[in-house]
Amino acid sequence: MSRFASASVLALCMANPSFAQELNALVWCDHADPALIQPFEEKFGVKVNLKEYEGTAAGLAILDQSRPGDWDVLVIDGVDVGRAVEGGHLAELPVDQLATADFFPEVVMAANNMVGGKTYAVTEKFGYNTIAYDKTKVDPADMADMTTLWSGKYDGRIAIYDYYLPILGLVAMEQGVATADITAETVAALKEPLFKLKAASKQVSDVVSSQTALATGEVDILIGGGEWLTAVLAADNPNLDWTIPAQGGLRWAQSIGVVAGSTQPDLALEFVKYITSPEGQAALATSSCYWGMPANTKAGEVLTPEQKAVLRWDEQTEFLARSQLYPIPDAALDTAMQDLWTAMLQE
Amino acid sequence: MMRNGREHRLGWGLVAPALLWTLAFFVLPFAGMVALSFARMEGRAIVPAFDPGNYIRFATDPVMIKALTNSFEITLVVTVISILLAYPLAAIIAFRIPPRWQRLALLLAVLPFWTSYVVRSYSWLLVLGQNGVINRGLSWIGIGPLELAATRAATVIGFVHFFVMLLTLTIYANLIQLSPNYARAAADLGASRWATFRLVILPLTLPGVVTGAFLTFVLCIGDYITPQILGGNNELTLPQLIMLQLGRSGNFPLASALSVILMGVVTLAYVFSAKWVRLDRV
Amino acid sequence: MKAIAWAYLAAIYSFILLPVVVLVVFSFQDGRLPVPPFQGATVKWYAQVLADRDLLAALGNSALVAVTSSAVALVLGFLAAHGLARVRLPGSVLMRGLLIAPLTVSYLIIALGLLNMFNQIGLRPSLLATGIGHVVINLPLCFAILYAAMGDHQKSAERAARDLGAGEVQVLWLVSAPMLMAPMAAAFFLSVTFSWDEFIIAFLLTRFDVTLPVEIWSMLKSGLSPKTNAIGSLVFLVSIMVVGFLELFVFRRQK
Repeated sequence: MSRFASASVLALCMANPSFAQELNALVWCDHADPALIQPFEEKFGVKVNLKEYEGTAAGLAILDQSRPGDWDVLVIDGVDVGRAVEGGHLAELPVDQLATADFFPEVVMAANNMVGGKTYAVTEKFGYNTIAYDKTKVDPADMADMTTLWSGKYDGRIAIYDYYLPILGLVAMEQGVATADITAETVAALKEPLFKLKAASKQVSDVVSSQTALATGEVDILIGGGEWLTAVLAADNPNLDWTIPAQGGLRWAQSIGVVAGSTQPDLALEFVKYITSPEGQAALATSSCYWGMPANTKAGEVLTPEQKAVLRWDEQTEFLARSQLYPIPDAALDTAMQDLWTAMLQE
Repeated sequence: MMRNGREHRLGWGLVAPALLWTLAFFVLPFAGMVALSFARMEGRAIVPAFDPGNYIRFATDPVMIKALTNSFEITLVVTVISILLAYPLAAIIAFRIPPRWQRLALLLAVLPFWTSYVVRSYSWLLVLGQNGVINRGLSWIGIGPLELAATRAATVIGFVHFFVMLLTLTIYANLIQLSPNYARAAADLGASRWATFRLVILPLTLPGVVTGAFLTFVLCIGDYITPQILGGNNELTLPQLIMLQLGRSGNFPLASALSVILMGVVTLAYVFSAKWVRLDRV
Repeated sequence: MKAIAWAYLAAIYSFILLPVVVLVVFSFQDGRLPVPPFQGATVKWYAQVLADRDLLAALGNSALVAVTSSAVALVLGFLAAHGLARVRLPGSVLMRGLLIAPLTVSYLIIALGLLNMFNQIGLRPSLLATGIGHVVINLPLCFAILYAAMGDHQKSAERAARDLGAGEVQVLWLVSAPMLMAPMAAAFFLSVTFSWDEFIIAFLLTRFDVTLPVEIWSMLKSGLSPKTNAIGSLVFLVSIMVVGFLELFVFRRQK
């Protein structure tokens, strides 16, 4: 036993042998797909270490607690790039080397990715938080109008996706308020419709529970759902569908950038360039964790027609026009929104 | 026993390694937490201060009070049900099953312990769902469907499942320590089986049961995953509230304050159960 | 009476084993959704799991951390329980409280506190950091179980051994430890299990070499899949093998 234990201790101490070159990336789960990472590793002869996180606050906390040089690449919610820059976590990107000219113009999102005239991140993937539903159990025509969800017709058959920004955005849209117009004053007006929605719904759940609930028929409608949720289930449950109702939908976007203090900024930049290249974009769009639209239109030449059909490639012009960005709250509004959300959960 | 210097040195020597470990890797970091709970959030920055604002907020915000009472209610129900289910199981294994099969029976009783906790909660989700195994079975005999998923009942079931296993182990460990002579002596003195159990076995195993109950209480009231996966977010427990403050708001000071409060609740439970243990030993 | 006991056993074992059975059955689901109805059997999800290098590495990491941290916790907990049960030290109530105290804190808090401290002293998130955290959570467990189990007949046996001239090490090794074999085994089992299953500390205190729950968590994130069931079932299988090994180990020691 003692020999075994001391061998274990030895192994513990010797963990982390040094590789020739490694790239450390703090990412969302869709990047942890070998089909996406391996081509880059082979091309540059490096090892890419991935650490996944959820929620901007959690990611920024990891960066805050790390030392300079620990991280090379960061993937972050498009609307939160400013927070990362404010914390000194992102390095400036050379604009002339980015493929943004090939992007869907709506998702370049310069206002989010730039701070003080400098570019710190580039959009890599986007999609929608709207209404996902089982088309055999609800009337698709009802889903075209968000007010049906409040009408009582589907009480107890609704799940709410547990993320306050898109859902509060959707509730605001139902009330006729644009997401950009949500302020600390108007957010209080969302309380009543939000609580009513909670009363009409069966649960408020994360990705896995939402999928389980929809797939097992626990609920028939998911507010906040979209292609990112239904695409992975498309092959097995073709009854799941999603739509952007007349009031509009929310558009999510994630950005990628080089971490300030990286000891290998050139390699990190190559990674960013690979991810935003047509090949990288196609692999990212159909990654095993969740699907989403690539920011780069040239990825359309790499994706198969079936993949493009699931992503609804041809409808993007209309979707982009009818969707709004996430609310971008300042600290006070963010606190107000989160407190409202917490109170709703406890209701 | 004489109290002399050698005894003391020996005692200290035995306790010191554990004590030092606890001081270095628990007390020190926790002190940092307490200090942080009095800090202030200004915008998105944490400003060191001595500000009881987080505690005042807890005391005046019904949402937060409710989280505490939810946690407390769930934990109490879970602890009681788990003991009531585990004690008979441990007793049957210890006294009714032939000794050479006991170990196997015990292993079987704690087998699911060894699947991943996260995965186990998730499979309860599949079991309890509208079209899950339970409701399919019930509809087969013409009952249901029961509304089990995304309710407090689901959280309680998930917890009880876990803690029945834990308590069975600890109670069994205590029962098997009892010499059969106690029961035999009681029987010789004319005690009925029930009286033997109530007057002899139960009091002797009470310290173990209370220890197990206390562990259940602590692990249950501090758990995040089970209510998060099974409760459907239809109500919040204190750990869920803490995670919301950490993961979303990045409000480390408030999360720290809530943790200190959670710690306070459990310390009370410890004081309560520690009294029981000692009272019983007298 | 006998019938009631058997009926109770049947009922409680069904309850205990139900989620595991469901987990395993639907790991063979020939379809993307691990929910009823069962659509036929396949082993393709297992093939996927076994081809996953990261997952197998995580399995090894978990076993390493669980066994090492539990062994450390058991030794420290046993010594402390013995010391406090045997010698009346000044402030022993306080010390008992202190040793138990980590149990009263959510793992999350322990993880965050350690993360903060390790950063300040320059210890990077790693398996070693996770192992230290796991000793913190398992030490009170081992201590509490062993302390509760140290009854009066234990003390008299130890006293008898000392009266017969046994040294302190001999008493510990030849009398106390063997007498406490059942609770020690229970404490070790529990520690390994808690460490094996522990998520939040491992999540915050590792970076690239992760333990199994962290790896499973990231796979769960990719949504509903029988592959998750397959991992869970494999973990189960590995666990049974470990239990078998420990059984053998404990059994031999008792002989």
